[in-house]
Amino acid sequence: MNAWMMLWKIVLIGGVALFSGMAIWVSIGGYRDIKKLFKSVEESHKKDSS
Amino acid sequence: MDPKTAEILGQTNFTTLDWGIVAVYILGSVVIGLMVKRYVVNMADYVTAGRAIGTCLGIATMTGTELGLITVMYSAQKGFVGGFAAFHIAVVAAIVTFIVGMTGFIVYRLREMEVLTIPEFYERRFGPKTRIVGGIMLAFGGILNMGLFLKVGSMFIVGITGMSNQGWALPAVMTVLLVLVLIYTVLGGMLSVVVTDYIQFVVLSFGLLLTSALAIRELGWNTIFDTVAKEMGAKGFDPTVADGAFGGEYIIWMCFMGLVGCGIWPTAVARALAAESPETVKRQYRWSSVSFLIRFLIPYFWGICAFVYFKTKSPELNELFFPAAEGAKAFDNLYAMPIFLGRILPAGLIGIITAGMIAAFMSTHDSYLLCWSSVITQDIVAPIMGDKLDNPSRIKLTRIFIVAIGLYILYWGLVYEGGEDIWDYMAVTGAIYFTGAFALLLGGLYWERASSTGAMLALVSGCSAVVGLAPVQKVLGIDIPGARIGLYSIAFATVMMVIGSLVFPDKKEGPPAEEAAQETSEGES
Repeated sequence: MNAWMMLWKIVLIGGVALFSGMAIWVSIGGYRDIKKLFKSVEESHKKDSS
Repeated sequence: MDPKTAEILGQTNFTTLDWGIVAVYILGSVVIGLMVKRYVVNMADYVTAGRAIGTCLGIATMTGTELGLITVMYSAQKGFVGGFAAFHIAVVAAIVTFIVGMTGFIVYRLREMEVLTIPEFYERRFGPKTRIVGGIMLAFGGILNMGLFLKVGSMFIVGITGMSNQGWALPAVMTVLLVLVLIYTVLGGMLSVVVTDYIQFVVLSFGLLLTSALAIRELGWNTIFDTVAKEMGAKGFDPTVADGAFGGEYIIWMCFMGLVGCGIWPTAVARALAAESPETVKRQYRWSSVSFLIRFLIPYFWGICAFVYFKTKSPELNELFFPAAEGAKAFDNLYAMPIFLGRILPAGLIGIITAGMIAAFMSTHDSYLLCWSSVITQDIVAPIMGDKLDNPSRIKLTRIFIVAIGLYILYWGLVYEGGEDIWDYMAVTGAIYFTGAFALLLGGLYWERASSTGAMLALVSGCSAVVGLAPVQKVLGIDIPGARIGLYSIAFATVMMVIGSLVFPDKKEGPPAEEAAQETSEGES
């Protein structure tokens, strides 16, 4: 049981640490992607209508 | 409900300020939905956001959809019941998602074929009849699967706000949430879905981390582990213990569920199909494996913390959820986590967390509603009508189906009386679709001899999974674990695919997509 307990402690701490870093990266990069997305959709509509 | 129980359930830190935060957040989401509406011109915009989603937004939106309030609720329930042993489901999900990200298994080829939905792949590979039958199976399994979403999501709000002592509260909250989600989804389609998914990702990610930190501060890191060890013993940590909540069979089932969750389940695959390139899909999956870990891990942890809180700090809640008297009915353990959060989070923060959870709820619902309704329109109605439906008619029809499915989940949430955990209910109902889909995707993408007859047989075989549902077992007078039924169904569907394909091979001039499947093999690692 102690080995499992140790494993889950490591998984919990490691997972949370990894997710914290990813959350910051995705929050910043995602905002940039949203701007790019709407620009791209608008451009494709312009192309379709011309 | 007796006055004492009502008094216990009514204790929460949720204040008027928190209601204000929730109202502002929801209003903001609806405004965004209205603003985004003008960008939706055709079906590709509505369903796949013009196929222009970058890596970070892809990760955020995939996490936003899969880290829904429902996930948080059913995972917390698993943690509450199974302790740390439930963590194995999260680890397996993360490993499988990472492997899919490394190899591109299934998703890479699907994205490369530029299909809008999985049934569209069925048509290109196996012919139009398979698409229609596949669409029906997908819609049936999927809609049944989301049948309890509305109820479970509403239980969170009712639990955390202290309204669980009011009989009228649950149906009232269900109705209000449904109206909100329907308005929002009907308006904007996938474009509004990705924007709210992103906002939800930001709010919820930091909310999850902060809440976990507060739970540890409240209970103590060592106390959490020691209490689980004392109360549950080895079963609380070791998932392989035979008389525990899981066992070997369950773990194998969870390995398959990990693959389904990221590579076969349409709402997850929809993100792959909306990615800007096949390479983006693989990158998105590799990073999303962290989200797939966390989306289960933290809610399990909250469920465990609720258990520890009841055992160590709240004898009255302990008595409510674990009544000592023989024959006494325990309170629904889905309420454990929200009631726990209502007790430990401070005013203000509790409003932000609740708003984030409601956003998660809306995000999951709009994705699922959009997914199932577009499957009915694109893969069932349009092919039956000989593809005579124009773009505006398809969007209109999809919106009508969204409302119809919404009304169904309100009804189903109020009438369904199953005894299984929500996660197990979802696994079994989902299996109606994914057991057949797994055989079709595997055969269609990787086996040249897979035929349309084999595909049809595999799809229909998936229906055998319905035997795993508690009410169906009750009618049949049997008691077989859902995990075992699920594994048998997968084997059954795969065998039928192989036998059907070998005995009834397609004629050479048959479905054109065999060529497409061969063409897609290049470039995949």
